[in-house]
Amino acid sequence: MQVFRTVISAFVFLFCALIFSSPHLLARESGEYIAIRKAGSGKIALVFSKPDAKGQTESGVAQELDTIIREGVDFTGAFTMISPPLNLKDQPENKSATLNFGALNSVGAEVYTGGKVEVNSGNISLDMEVYDTAAARSLFRKTYTGSREQLRSIGHRFCADLLELLTGKKSVFGSKIVFVSNKTGFKEIYECDFDGQRVEQLTNSRSISLTPALSPDGRYLAYTDFTSGRPALNIRNLTDKKTLLVSKNGVCIDPGWRNSSEVATTFSADGSQDIYLIKTDGTVSQRVTTTKGIDVSPSFSPDGSKMAFVSSRNGKPQIFIQDLKSGQAKRLTFNGPYNTQPSWSPAGDKIAYSTMEKSGEINIFVVNADGSGLIKLTQRSGENESPSWSPDGSMIVFTSSRQGTKKLFVMSSTGEHQRRLLQIDGDQMQPSWSLFRE
Amino acid sequence: MKKKINSMVVVALMMTAGCSSKSVVTPVAPPPPPAPAPVAVAPVAPAEPSGYGFDKWQRGPLGDVFFEFDSAQLSTDAQEQLKQNGSWLEGNSAKGALIEGHCDARGTSEYNLALGERRANVAKDYLVRLGVPSSRLQTVSYGEECPFTTDQNEEAWAKNRRAHFVVK
Repeated sequence: MQVFRTVISAFVFLFCALIFSSPHLLARESGEYIAIRKAGSGKIALVFSKPDAKGQTESGVAQELDTIIREGVDFTGAFTMISPPLNLKDQPENKSATLNFGALNSVGAEVYTGGKVEVNSGNISLDMEVYDTAAARSLFRKTYTGSREQLRSIGHRFCADLLELLTGKKSVFGSKIVFVSNKTGFKEIYECDFDGQRVEQLTNSRSISLTPALSPDGRYLAYTDFTSGRPALNIRNLTDKKTLLVSKNGVCIDPGWRNSSEVATTFSADGSQDIYLIKTDGTVSQRVTTTKGIDVSPSFSPDGSKMAFVSSRNGKPQIFIQDLKSGQAKRLTFNGPYNTQPSWSPAGDKIAYSTMEKSGEINIFVVNADGSGLIKLTQRSGENESPSWSPDGSMIVFTSSRQGTKKLFVMSSTGEHQRRLLQIDGDQMQPSWSLFRE
Repeated sequence: MKKKINSMVVVALMMTAGCSSKSVVTPVAPPPPPAPAPVAVAPVAPAEPSGYGFDKWQRGPLGDVFFEFDSAQLSTDAQEQLKQNGSWLEGNSAKGALIEGHCDARGTSEYNLALGERRANVAKDYLVRLGVPSSRLQTVSYGEECPFTTDQNEEAWAKNRRAHFVVK
């Protein structure tokens, strides 16, 4: 990588952005770029310039977009941000001047992105271009439009394209997190954006609402509450806002979606807590487990063929994986006597879960779906619970008591960069990250 | 001091409202007493089988039974308490009971909802074997959602791992 860059940066490239007018991702170049990056490692060194703007209105919008994009790319943890070199443009007074790739390379940039903002009768247009600085060429150019109210979405749509261009994968932008908070004095269900912004209260039952989970297509929210006097399952259609209450003798708790039309939940009508699959109309489509112990917390492989869950069939709670077709279940966890809360990664290769350790700490672990490659992601930070993967598998949201009361945190899928997600009152717990993106 | 008492009452009321309003308005229960002196709460050993349970508003005749961590097995003391509860129910055949299963705050909330149900069920099954008609006994699990005390120590956890009886 270094050699490649040095050779290339020995030349001075003159480059005209206007040549590239295609709004579509230049797949060949992006593919090459990703292949080159794989030889290197870690974070992408990015120089991002505030979009150019002419008038006063445009400057204000550009300033806001600068913040949105900067915070957005920072949240992903995929970049090292480098300040633009002062001599970025060969002729600073000329906005359409040629980019000085020599200067970008000398500050260590791998990728440069910038663009311009225009505002026409309230409509915002953000024109962005992304460059491979070593090769001194454009990788991507696209125009994003919307109203002033959609500024966040405009900025994040660009961030999403930038991530996909450089990593070859879809990102977290546009995804949602649902969670429980007792902010009002009652445990209610809330929703926020992937980055903890735009918090919204979804239930107001003044009961105890628990374990929210959004269907993969984002059309339904399943959760447990006590409005009927006992813990029962609610399936809310988020389009028409109608909620179906699934209440049986015993508990109906802890839903986990298999796909957008089937959700697994624990019933105990026959006295034993077992997992059943039910349709969104509340009818049972299949009984999945039949053992005498407790079976809870279903989480499915992406193709829906396998289910990770917690079972006390051997005495203490451990995580098992069951093949839905054969009905065969295999124990996954062996580290300690209390392993619960499995979350299957969107790529299907890994399972995150929480372990209650001898010290009383609860910590989050990740293990391959075949039981190999166990790694510990949290330690010496109180109780760390309820892991849930981001839709791109790059991050995990979880609950931690490290600052006293329970709050939501995020970290990379390997445990790096652990930080608070939200700054709201009360305890927050049981986060669940959506698979869909808006 | 006054402020501290008030805030304690508010917290206690909030908890009660979210959890078991039934245990507040049992037929034999007086209205909630005024703020108790916060320092005067003498810890009650969970092993004492004499009891009226630890719910400060529970004045019913049926005592709580207690469990070990991650267990729904009845100890000797628990069985003794259930026998007392059973004989009261035998002598008061017009009454029934709601048995609430509770867990301590350790472990995970989802699993504890299931464990709480097993605690309530094992208490119910024992009473049924003693001859109490199962139609007079209902169960509900609150998992770790309605702790008797929010303190985090062995003593508090032991008090929270309980099947709590509400006379109906």
